[in-house]
Amino acid sequence: MSVERMKVEREIVVPEEPGEVWESLTDPERLEEWFASDVELDARPGGEGVFRWGDGDERRAVVRELEEAERLVLDWDDGGSVAIELEPVVDGTRVHVVESSPDFAPAFEMRACAWTALAAA
Amino acid sequence: MDGSRGGVDRVFAALGDAGRRSLVEAVATRGTATATELAAELPVTRQAVAKQLSALADAGLLRATRAGRETRYEVTPAPLEEAVEWMVSVGAAWDERLAALRRSLAKRT
Repeated sequence: MSVERMKVEREIVVPEEPGEVWESLTDPERLEEWFASDVELDARPGGEGVFRWGDGDERRAVVRELEEAERLVLDWDDGGSVAIELEPVVDGTRVHVVESSPDFAPAFEMRACAWTALAAA
Repeated sequence: MDGSRGGVDRVFAALGDAGRRSLVEAVATRGTATATELAAELPVTRQAVAKQLSALADAGLLRATRAGRETRYEVTPAPLEEAVEWMVSVGAAWDERLAALRRSLAKRT
């Protein structure tokens, strides 16, 4: 993975079993209940997806990794990606999300010296 | 240039630290924040937050203003803006989506 990326991580525990949550991650109709307003997804490695939102936003993705009821990784067409992992826990399923940004490197060059000082602190 | 390239790598190394990243994100989300406010919502002590905020301000990434006995911080704009905006908007989108996922699952059971 490139170092020139930001990451956002989120995690929740839901009471349902991983198999049930997996359906919500991979079935387009279920995805339309929480992820985007209009979803097409060919849920297999290399499969393509199109996600549309009510505000007119549209993102295309390719399935990079898919392990049933465990892990789904989508590569966005802007260079970003999202990995969603499911883990069975005592009270249900832990859903862990990591979204990685596209490259921002040029925007950072000016502030590089400041960050160098910070990284060394 | 090799020099600036190394600097950029360090920028991202610093942002690769989950604690610093969540602090920058928390300050950006709130607009402005003090160490006391942030420590109340993060699993770290006020002292640890204050130290990290001070280091981030020394590095020019946060702007510090005195407000009574406390120091109030805000994210400095460019050139962090694009990346911080991404982090805040994507973070907010996932908060909403995961809440919607929870509701969607609950509806079925």
